[in-house]
Amino acid sequence: MTHAEYLPNTKPERLQRWQIDSDVISWHPLMGQFETTVPGNGAPPNECDYCGRPFPTSDRLDLHRGIEHFDRLDESERETFEAARAEERDDLSQFRLKALGVLVLLYFGFLFLYAIFA
Amino acid sequence: MPSSPEQSPSRSCESNGATQAGLKSRCRQLLTATPLRVGVQFGLWFALLWVAADTATAANGLTLSKGSRDPLAVPQWLYLATGSATIGASALLASFMTDRAFIRAVDEWSLSATSLDGWMRLAGRAGRIVGVVSLFFAVYIGFSGPELPTASFTILVVFAGIRAGLPIVAYVTGNVWPALNPWRAIASVLPTGFRDYPGSWKRWPAVAGLLALVWAEIIFPVSTVPSVLATGIVLYSTITLLGALAFGSDTWFRNADPISVLFRFYGAVGPLSRSDGGLTLSLPGSNLSASSENPVSDTSDVAFIIALVWELTYSGFITTSAGVTTVRTFVNATSLVLRTDTRAIVVYSVLLLAGYAVFFGAYWYAGTFARRRTETYLTPETFALHFGAPLLAIAAGYHFAHYVGLFMSLSPALLMAVLSPFSPPANPLVLSIPGWFSGVSIASVLLGHLLAIWWTHSVSYDLFASKLVAIRSQYPFIAVMIAYTVVSLWILSLPSGTPPFLP
Repeated sequence: MTHAEYLPNTKPERLQRWQIDSDVISWHPLMGQFETTVPGNGAPPNECDYCGRPFPTSDRLDLHRGIEHFDRLDESERETFEAARAEERDDLSQFRLKALGVLVLLYFGFLFLYAIFA
Repeated sequence: MPSSPEQSPSRSCESNGATQAGLKSRCRQLLTATPLRVGVQFGLWFALLWVAADTATAANGLTLSKGSRDPLAVPQWLYLATGSATIGASALLASFMTDRAFIRAVDEWSLSATSLDGWMRLAGRAGRIVGVVSLFFAVYIGFSGPELPTASFTILVVFAGIRAGLPIVAYVTGNVWPALNPWRAIASVLPTGFRDYPGSWKRWPAVAGLLALVWAEIIFPVSTVPSVLATGIVLYSTITLLGALAFGSDTWFRNADPISVLFRFYGAVGPLSRSDGGLTLSLPGSNLSASSENPVSDTSDVAFIIALVWELTYSGFITTSAGVTTVRTFVNATSLVLRTDTRAIVVYSVLLLAGYAVFFGAYWYAGTFARRRTETYLTPETFALHFGAPLLAIAAGYHFAHYVGLFMSLSPALLMAVLSPFSPPANPLVLSIPGWFSGVSIASVLLGHLLAIWWTHSVSYDLFASKLVAIRSQYPFIAVMIAYTVVSLWILSLPSGTPPFLP
């Protein structure tokens, strides 16, 4: 399904090129292609068992597995994915609250600015 | 059929007396003979029409046109007889067509309205003719035509048409340039493809060509002196045709010709695109994210897009008061070296290249910063490539803001020049822009940015599995876009000025 080229280790970083041939994105020349570089001196990356793509944290790996390889997951892996999704949902709600706050501040801020200066 | 003429003679025949049966029958034969019947009917119809025609035409004249008709040059009977002879003669001519197959072919000829291929081919052919004819006119009239810029076919077609109007068509509907491209049309009848286009070149020649064209537009008086522009067109045509002949028409116009690449990229913003079999209508800018029409596949494409954005900013900047002051300061500060003219050219060139480098660096740094902020393993190049196409929406918004006023004010002059290129009016009509038009410019810059923000958001969801990481990865690019907006709106708000030290 995927094809990764490993470049020789002349630098501490490991560069990999990815070409994903999934049905959804195979018709676009660019979207299926991206590159990852893992810093050589950092923490070992979490790698996906199905495609080998590295992730810096385990929740991102769980989300990736659920989104890209859902059909190949077994029950426990699917549960992990659902848990990661639930956590992401909470984080997103928090983010939305903050974003709404910023929007409200922007609105009233500019309202006052225009009332004073215009 | 009127029956009274038939009946009365036969009745008078009978009243003659039943004794002369032979005479009666002969009389009846004579009176009911076909030629007589036809002749009498014809005479009666003729008399009816003669009497009624005047009234009918008079009545129609009152209802159809209030004015009086022009008097006929020939007698009325001759006019009517000619009309009837025309119909009779055409019927006789039609009777010469006796080939059944031909009659059936004409009967069955049709153009399917739903299949676009026929119409597209027709439009392509028409476009090619228009393009080549315009090219030759532009060169000829540039050298021999009027000197007034707003009356010159060359200047109007190149600047109001190709620089201002056609890109607007491209990003509002779709890319129409391949049909109009005169050099492609010329190259299509010549032998091509003697060399292979080097794969490593990608779109870099187009980037260099675009910067060169912008530089030439500033340094040389191409927008005021038609003969200079005509010379430029001849030069450009030579280079383009040589390139197309050497590397093959499709390859050249897809990769190396700056004008064709420009229209291809602007066309990606438009909602219409051509797929096999027909036209597809999608949302404006949907080809800027995950789509087979996304024009970006390499760093040279990103470089071209940033060149598009930068050249609009630059040519906008040097025609404002702040830009004029900046150039003057630089030229006067180095007053010990070279002549003023040469120094000015150097200052303009350095500003162009330095600004481009700053814009490109800022954008690439946003990719590096995004990688660091989100702690992802995706390379900065991946960020730059994937987030590059939405910048085209920004370029489209800037282009509209800077050029819609120019196009509108020159459109009557353009129309008059196109309709009578060899004898344009001595005082071409140039419209003046109403005050509220600056609101249109501001609105288009903002709209371009809004579209870019949406499609960048869409792209980030393709790159990342985690939604929060996707959102966070866009922050550096949003900061870059805010900076671009501020610069562009600032330029739009400045009073205009004439670039100094230029011929």
